[in-house]
Amino acid sequence: MSDYKHIGKDFTPPDVVGKVTGKARYAEDFRADGMVYARVYTSPMAHGRVVNIDTSALDDMPGIIGIITADDVPAVEAPGAAMLTNLPVYIGDPILAVAAEDETTAENALAAIRVDIEPLPFAVDPLDSLVEGGPDAREEGNVYVRSREGSGFRRIKWTPEQIDEFRAGREPTGEHAAEWEYGDVEQGFAAAEVIYEEPFVTVGYAHMSMEPRTAMAYWENGKCHLYASSQSQSFWMPGLARLLEIDMADIVLISENTGGGFGSKIGAYPMAALPAWFSKKIGRPVQLRITREQEYYVGSARVGFQGWMKIGFAANGRVTASDVFIVEDIGPNATGGDGSSAAGAVSLVYDPEAMRFRGLPVLTNTTPRGAQRGPGQNQIAAVMAPIMDRAARDLGIDRVEIRRINAANNATTVYEDQEPVTSAYMKEALDMGAEMFDWERRKQKPAKNGSKVRGIGIGQGYHSAGANGYDGLVRITPDGKIHLHSGVGNLGTYSYASTVRSAAEVLKCDWEDCVIHHGTTEAHLPWSSYQAGSNTSFTHQRANYVAALDAVDKLKQVAARMLGGSPDDFDIDGKRVFAVANPSRGMSYADAAAHAISLGGTFSGQEVPEDIHEVTRRSVENLAGSGLVGVAKDNLRKEGVVPGLAVAFAEIELDLETGKYQILDYVGIAECGTVVHPQGLAAQMKGGAVWGMGMAGLERHVYDPQNGLPAGVGYYQCRIPTYLDTPSEIRTGAVDLPDPQSPFGARGIGEPAMGCSVAAITSAIADALDGHVFNRTPVSADMIVNHVAGREQSFVALQTNNF
Amino acid sequence: MNPRLSRRRFIKAVIASGAAAASKAGVAAVAQSRPAGVVERLVSLDVNGRTRRVDVMPQETLAYTLRYKLGLTGTKIGCNRGECGACTVMIDGVTNYSCSTLTHSVGTRAVLTVEGLQRPDGTLHPVQQAFIDELAPQCGFCTPGQVMSAVALLNENPRPSREEARQALSGNLCRCGAYDHYLNGVMRAAESES
Amino acid sequence: MASFDVMPHIELYKPTELADALELADRLGPRGWLLGGGQDTYGWFKDRAKNAEAMIDLNGIEALHGIRETADGIEIGAATTLREIVRDPLLNERFAVLPAAAARVASPQIRNVGTLGGNLVQDTRCWYYRRGLACYRAGGNLCYADSPQGMNREHCVFGASRCVAVSPSDTATAMVALDATMVATSVDGERLIPAGRFFALPETHITRMTTLEPGEILTAVRLPARWAGKRFYFEKVADRDVWDFALVSIAAAFDLDGGNIGDARVVCGGVAAVPWRLREVERALRGRAPGADTGEAVAALATRGARPLNYNHFKLPLMENLVRRALREPA
Repeated sequence: MSDYKHIGKDFTPPDVVGKVTGKARYAEDFRADGMVYARVYTSPMAHGRVVNIDTSALDDMPGIIGIITADDVPAVEAPGAAMLTNLPVYIGDPILAVAAEDETTAENALAAIRVDIEPLPFAVDPLDSLVEGGPDAREEGNVYVRSREGSGFRRIKWTPEQIDEFRAGREPTGEHAAEWEYGDVEQGFAAAEVIYEEPFVTVGYAHMSMEPRTAMAYWENGKCHLYASSQSQSFWMPGLARLLEIDMADIVLISENTGGGFGSKIGAYPMAALPAWFSKKIGRPVQLRITREQEYYVGSARVGFQGWMKIGFAANGRVTASDVFIVEDIGPNATGGDGSSAAGAVSLVYDPEAMRFRGLPVLTNTTPRGAQRGPGQNQIAAVMAPIMDRAARDLGIDRVEIRRINAANNATTVYEDQEPVTSAYMKEALDMGAEMFDWERRKQKPAKNGSKVRGIGIGQGYHSAGANGYDGLVRITPDGKIHLHSGVGNLGTYSYASTVRSAAEVLKCDWEDCVIHHGTTEAHLPWSSYQAGSNTSFTHQRANYVAALDAVDKLKQVAARMLGGSPDDFDIDGKRVFAVANPSRGMSYADAAAHAISLGGTFSGQEVPEDIHEVTRRSVENLAGSGLVGVAKDNLRKEGVVPGLAVAFAEIELDLETGKYQILDYVGIAECGTVVHPQGLAAQMKGGAVWGMGMAGLERHVYDPQNGLPAGVGYYQCRIPTYLDTPSEIRTGAVDLPDPQSPFGARGIGEPAMGCSVAAITSAIADALDGHVFNRTPVSADMIVNHVAGREQSFVALQTNNF
Repeated sequence: MNPRLSRRRFIKAVIASGAAAASKAGVAAVAQSRPAGVVERLVSLDVNGRTRRVDVMPQETLAYTLRYKLGLTGTKIGCNRGECGACTVMIDGVTNYSCSTLTHSVGTRAVLTVEGLQRPDGTLHPVQQAFIDELAPQCGFCTPGQVMSAVALLNENPRPSREEARQALSGNLCRCGAYDHYLNGVMRAAESES
Repeated sequence: MASFDVMPHIELYKPTELADALELADRLGPRGWLLGGGQDTYGWFKDRAKNAEAMIDLNGIEALHGIRETADGIEIGAATTLREIVRDPLLNERFAVLPAAAARVASPQIRNVGTLGGNLVQDTRCWYYRRGLACYRAGGNLCYADSPQGMNREHCVFGASRCVAVSPSDTATAMVALDATMVATSVDGERLIPAGRFFALPETHITRMTTLEPGEILTAVRLPARWAGKRFYFEKVADRDVWDFALVSIAAAFDLDGGNIGDARVVCGGVAAVPWRLREVERALRGRAPGADTGEAVAALATRGARPLNYNHFKLPLMENLVRRALREPA
């Protein structure tokens, strides 16, 4: 453990009190004078063209304030998600909205409006679209490729024979759209002792954050005030400005609390902008309450995979080569990128000597996809774990050992370009987990108890977990308070607070003297990264660190100017800046702040560094003259990929007669550099574990291929895990070795926390069933019952809709 | 037995009526059989120990009344279908999904919401304090409901086992997956209260 | 299809006397909606997938509450909550299969307000029907689930007739296993219906789950002393252990004569539109001692005649396994 004052110590994030008292305000909790209630009419058709909207029934309906349609909002180029559309591409695509004096009237209006839609072909399973003669999810094509060389629609079809081969688990021979490779894959397989080829399916499913993404907007003095549910704070501003077609300076974004994001609220999304456009049109504040069903529609979902994996192992357990082919379900808006990310994760976690990735992103008329906690990495983690187990068994190697043999370390190189990593200690994580779990003892499984069998599993999770180049902003006021401005979103990880503690650490101040400013543009926040990709801890420790260093530098300069000498003669501690040679010669932070205001210029934010972002610049301008301002862009060295790593061990007891299993024990180990906030880290590891359990056994998408209708628009059908589907206690640990490129050694963890879990469960299920691998998530009770009874599964191989 | 109603008893049966519904043919006859002034939408609710007079539509849910008429926005609407528990409140000490409770059905029973737990001096309820100490909430949207289920449990069973706590809170979904920390909080609160 | 979420305007009556409720039910007929705990009411209305002119809230009627000992067993008022049933000492002592079933309903909050009557008469969870599609059950002329591409993992394997929906009620299986009598009351008086004839297959009533007629109120259920204190078994297999409805459930009652089974009731939920009695299993059990061997011997009879759909043939081995367990581990 470190001997830092703040880093590695628990603290009470200021917003948590409001969460337990009900005082914490989420977007729907705000009201404005004269506010009206808007509700959205969503498409009843999976793909179609609106030919007529008849709103005449509303003419004499009291309480109706206005209607907004696609004609009133900016058009979005395909395949982007529109605010409102006349070309709906999935059931639930928003077509229009009505505002009324109350919600009931707004809904009465929706019921009275007639929308005529001309149906177009649709697809809910990528393979249905990929087969010759199959429907295209959009008129422009059935595939959308995003690449550095240029993005665009394609129309790619495979012969029925090629589809059948793919379903049968053979290497796909149909056309693909993306590819990368490193090393000599052929040679790698030639050197392998054992080679496995497996088809796999990971079903996409909805994010279903607890808070539906309600938003409320009004305009005042030319500024748009928007209350929204956002995962990030400052990062939203440029995108929001584009959506609203106004300058960032004219937006006030309030997002004090956000009821979960998990990747679905990273950047500004269309449904947040819609009430602003509506408000502009009707001249009243507009609240657009999103229902649970609509949250399912517009709240995005994980990309589904239908894939094929070939992997070779040397006799000593080393992965010699890997070949991955992934058909990605990218929904109607071509959002994803999970396939390449999955392959990237393979390149790191199992470190094959050579590998190839081929991908084919296929459009479907299902709910739009987006980043969901470990997008790609976690799907492939679920697939890989049982394959690693099989190789271990066939090669006579312990299952932990085979993972140690291939474990990512400081010398590991990753991805297509075989980049270095900043640091990686997978082996240490495995060892720690094995010890906490008591692997050596538990791998001697108890005998079958009646219909119940035990299974133990190991999972490994990875996500790149750090970015750079964002700004930090701290301020010391003449009352002696340290103001920590956090542009980080508040989605429930407390990283908005834990990362500013690195500034407190640098300033050697007490936490009681610190005030965190966050959650609204009006708090004057610095430009910050997306609160996604597990990156906040690494990225914003750095940004806060450099801002605090700037403040320290200014404290010393102020002291030198006031007391004589050179800034280098001074140091800080105890909320004072003082001469090293004579500590009594100095001044308090409060006095230094007052002097900084008198001195002006860079000291109090009258002048700002050249390289800071526009968002930060504006915030500093607004704060100028209020204290000593430390502001800087993170220009620290960053070379290589920043890995967030996690390992999980799980033991399940599976009932062969019911297909149900209980998770008896779970140990999750974080390998995320220095531990910054122990409780917060444990919360992430446990929350990630629950997510992994949901993905492994429960969560699903059900789409009727006959009409494109989704069954799962509520929590019940989506099968979100409950208290009773997850263990009562989840044990966690952390390797706690510092990353050299983070000032206090931290990397992120949110996503690997889930990947290791889903993998540990798929591994444990296979173990319980004597090595049987379903090659699919979720593995539901019906599949286990059928397997044990020796019956065929109900679904066709690689089918995504199997409920 | 063929119980037919007296006019008086029939009137007694009618406690709430919406103006809009009265225009519908089937109910209009009923409405006309009622003396003017009997329609009583204004009700007294006992919420967090205070009597609140409020105009309630016949079909209105308690979550709607609490959030939109009484300004008690601590009660969250996560699904509005009884599938998540974010709207959990206590009625006479028993947890209810307020999204799936008619306000008119509450009658004279005492409603307790998350806003009613703090002591007048601002001291937090032991469950609230324990949830803070254990960093139980993540995004916090489900938290008020989790708090209410935990308080209801401890009122009835001050020293629950962890398994009893798990069962008692099982009607509250947490998408962040903070179950373990919430249970830690319940167990800590149970200890602090005893 | 718009997405609706708030309760539309609906009249509400809160009678305090049964007679008043009966009069209202009679007067309103299908335009009225009987309200128990409301947990299978508000969703329909909020979705605008069903409507009514008025709700008749039965909870204020004292006579509909309570668990009473009678000359021939126990009578339970229909407005008694599932919470009360789960906690009731008498029921736990004599008819433990019912509290066991009630304890597996939905979630604590739903059990706190959900009534026995409401749980028994609740509508099917077929998701097509719930989404408001105009299927047979909704008065239309097709079934989306029973079609070559229908998603029907959670649908029936017995008793299909155009509609393939299943009974979702956990307590209904217990009622049939206990030979309960359902008391249906209307302005015309009481009608006593054996539990086995209370629930309706689609061939009888395709738009209703029970044989209750409009204007009738399920006022009570009577559990006969005949089955008091016998050996019982209840188990429910669902995807999630909270909220979810049974993929398959089983409620069984065994009357032991010496060491052998004299009479038995073995009933599965989640496999038909009604609680499905496994009569062949029951017959085969007579004279056999409960235990693993007997379970093994009779299990296959559970699914004789079953007609699975595209995605639900797992219900067959699951039913057979639950029969094995009921005989291996009766309480």
